[in-house]
Amino acid sequence: MKKLIATIACSGLLIAGFLFAQNSAVVDSAAFEVEPGILSVDGPESNA
Amino acid sequence: MDIGTFIKIQRLKKEMTQEELAHGIVSMSYLSKIENSRTEATPEVINMLCARLGIQLDGDRDITINEKCEQWYKSLFEVNNRAKITTDYEELEQLVGMMRSDSLIMFEIHKIRYFLVLGENEKALEQINKLNDMSKSFDNLHQYYWYKFRGNYNYLQGEFSHAMKMYKHAEEKQQNHLMLSEEEIADLQYVISVTHSKLRNTLESIKYADQAIEVYRKYYNFFRCAQCHILLGISYRRIKMTEKAIKHYNLARHLGEINKNNHIMQLTNQNLGYLYTALGEPEKAITYFEHIYADENVKQTDRLTALISLITEYYDIRNIDKTRQLIETAVEWLELIKDDVNYKLYYYVTYTYKLNIDKQYEQFEELVAEKFIPFLQKQRDFGHLVVYAKMLAEYYESTKRYKDSVKYYKLVTKAYDHIANL
Repeated sequence: MKKLIATIACSGLLIAGFLFAQNSAVVDSAAFEVEPGILSVDGPESNA
Repeated sequence: MDIGTFIKIQRLKKEMTQEELAHGIVSMSYLSKIENSRTEATPEVINMLCARLGIQLDGDRDITINEKCEQWYKSLFEVNNRAKITTDYEELEQLVGMMRSDSLIMFEIHKIRYFLVLGENEKALEQINKLNDMSKSFDNLHQYYWYKFRGNYNYLQGEFSHAMKMYKHAEEKQQNHLMLSEEEIADLQYVISVTHSKLRNTLESIKYADQAIEVYRKYYNFFRCAQCHILLGISYRRIKMTEKAIKHYNLARHLGEINKNNHIMQLTNQNLGYLYTALGEPEKAITYFEHIYADENVKQTDRLTALISLITEYYDIRNIDKTRQLIETAVEWLELIKDDVNYKLYYYVTYTYKLNIDKQYEQFEELVAEKFIPFLQKQRDFGHLVVYAKMLAEYYESTKRYKDSVKYYKLVTKAYDHIANL
């Protein structure tokens, strides 16, 4: 019986965790800061 | 350059074997000794080898070709006309191929830069590999450019630590009594500053940008001045001197406006947008990114940079519909830049947000933990590593997987240590 209660409690925690993940923001903001290029203005390089 | 190295370059250029060149003149092993400067051949032997290679030895003509080469080298550093650079290259390839002079080796080294300017990075690597064996016989000036252009190549491959090593070798050569123009030295200082910025060595980046901008001001090189202002803006923002950063961005924008240089103006917008992101003002950041996103004259990769920045900002203010809509466009645009050096980074960022929004958490975890974070570690991109390792740690924390969570929080701390140079 104790084992069953423990199993249910653990499953509950897992479900609670999963729901929390579904409802909350997982990612932070991460825009790009971009250095100027090393060749010339119309060069083929990409700078990000 | 000694005659042996010269003969070797010419032979490889004509795709001849040592056997073919030596046949009837000298033994193959003797030719090998000549090529590797382990013996000095008689003038008769040299003449015969040159004749077989179709080369005439003519001093006067070398001077004219040298002058043409110098002009061409300069054109590789200016806001350039690519068609003209290519035509001049083809002409010089014929001329230089027929003569023996130091121009030849300098020309061969500058080919690395030429291929990079054209965006033909694979050919640049082939050229580096071709010259690698004989680089030991280069004089100081040759070595200066050899290291600098290899640094350029590494930089464009995203290998910033390697690039810095190469630039530092070039700087050593330059400081060792090498007679170079002020603008040439400024160009080296500028690329060192950009590379330091990539490696987040902020104070070093400021030091080199300050040195370079002084020369560029003297020569009225507005474009490079604007680029230095942008570098200084990035660096001062990183050390939280926001007002000074904005001042430099405004100077860059002003130079862009008076020279009608859209690239500079939009690059300034991208970085001002980032500055407001970092200040926690997403609405203000969005206005700057929108300018670039809406501008069809901007290069596709630069528009994608702004677009992905918008995705992160709209997500941040929880405008999920807009985020979803922008992700759809980003997925389409990614197809257009598959060969770009930033493709992988942009791909991972876009799909990290996409999977998150679509609530596909298993795939999200797989992508970020197994692909994206190892990629950032390999690239030594500690800035993005902080963001995405933290994101994954928070995800594990929210799902009560504390052991995994701690692992990624530790990674965040390590990445911060790298950024702070601890």
